[in-house]
Amino acid sequence: MKECNYENRIDDYLLNRMTEEKKEMFEIHFFNCPDCFEKIEERNSLISVIKSKGNKIFHDQRKETETETETEGIRTQARARKLERKSVFEGLFSFLTPKQWTMAAISACALLVVFIGVAPNLKSPTPQFVMDSHSVRGDSLALLSPVKNTQTIPSEFRWDNLGEGVEYKIYLYKDNLLWSASTTGASISLPKDVKDLMKAGENYSWEVKAFSREGSLIAASNKVRFQIDSHL
Amino acid sequence: MRLQTNGTLVSPHPNLYNKDVVRKHDPPLNIDEIVAKFRPIISFKVKKSIGAHTPEWEDVVNEVLINVIEKLEKSEFRGDSSIGTFIYTITSRRIIDYIRRKSNVLKYAPEPIPFSNPHQDVEDEERAEHMAKLLGQLKPKYKEVLFLYYYKDLSREEVAAHLNITPRRVSERVNYAQKLLRKMVIK
Repeated sequence: MKECNYENRIDDYLLNRMTEEKKEMFEIHFFNCPDCFEKIEERNSLISVIKSKGNKIFHDQRKETETETETEGIRTQARARKLERKSVFEGLFSFLTPKQWTMAAISACALLVVFIGVAPNLKSPTPQFVMDSHSVRGDSLALLSPVKNTQTIPSEFRWDNLGEGVEYKIYLYKDNLLWSASTTGASISLPKDVKDLMKAGENYSWEVKAFSREGSLIAASNKVRFQIDSHL
Repeated sequence: MRLQTNGTLVSPHPNLYNKDVVRKHDPPLNIDEIVAKFRPIISFKVKKSIGAHTPEWEDVVNEVLINVIEKLEKSEFRGDSSIGTFIYTITSRRIIDYIRRKSNVLKYAPEPIPFSNPHQDVEDEERAEHMAKLLGQLKPKYKEVLFLYYYKDLSREEVAAHLNITPRRVSERVNYAQKLLRKMVIK
């Protein structure tokens, strides 16, 4: 008997597990293929005997799986095993679809670029200078500290020393003027009562103006803004 | 309506020896041969479509065969398709006709009580009993496949998963069981 492509579909046909279209093709085939027809008849008689006499033939098997619910159990088990059969590797990758994997990879690259390119700059943010409303002729005064966001409430303000005989006036602002003081040195300590007024997460700015002994303005700094980081 | 298959009624028709038929079928078929060859196939298709318990299935088969012979005599079979496909088409049409006719009849009359051929039934029953006995003698390995696949009506994949074998192996076991059975019947 020659082998036929249709042979492995005999069960599907006899058990009515075929679409109408496939069924018709299969029927046309066995009208033309005596070998297949012979096999179909043989299989059909086997199935009909099993269907009608099954309870006699399989009395030992039936003890094992007696109830319909157990058959259901087999079905569920089969489904579970099907899932299990997927390898661990496959399981790992099926966590995301290929499209999602691509997106994840692109996002990771973007994050890396941001981290490498931007992160070092975060360490030393450039001081932000706000030009005061009144411009001052003469030398400018450089402020030294604090000129960027700080972790703690600054206890000391420092600036460039312009030389002997200069009086400096410091102004600390929140929204309005918070504190102002005069000194002859190039630094000043923040009094405790002012320190207590300052809070983390707030923006402050400060400036220093330098006066001659005669009282005339000789230099002024830009207004520098700083923030006390909120995580403290 | 019974079809007589003796030589007088359905003698080989000269039309069947025309070139077209000869080309497709070598050696050429005569009507006797066609009836002998296709009666079981047509019967199988008819029983599958309208149910083997429908008493009229034999009538439908005979109608099909008469129709086939008529068409062959009128040279309506030109060999465009194979003789098998030609007969398949006629069979399908007859079955549709039967189902339509029956649904019309049912509108007016109750379904007649089916009475079957008692000899046929006894014969079938004996054969089935014998086969059941032989099936009972198969190794558990084959029995469990037949049980789950045909009796419990599980799919090939479900049977495979339950027995922890491949679906291909399920078919192989079924085929082997069939082969064993064939040998046992011949003995």
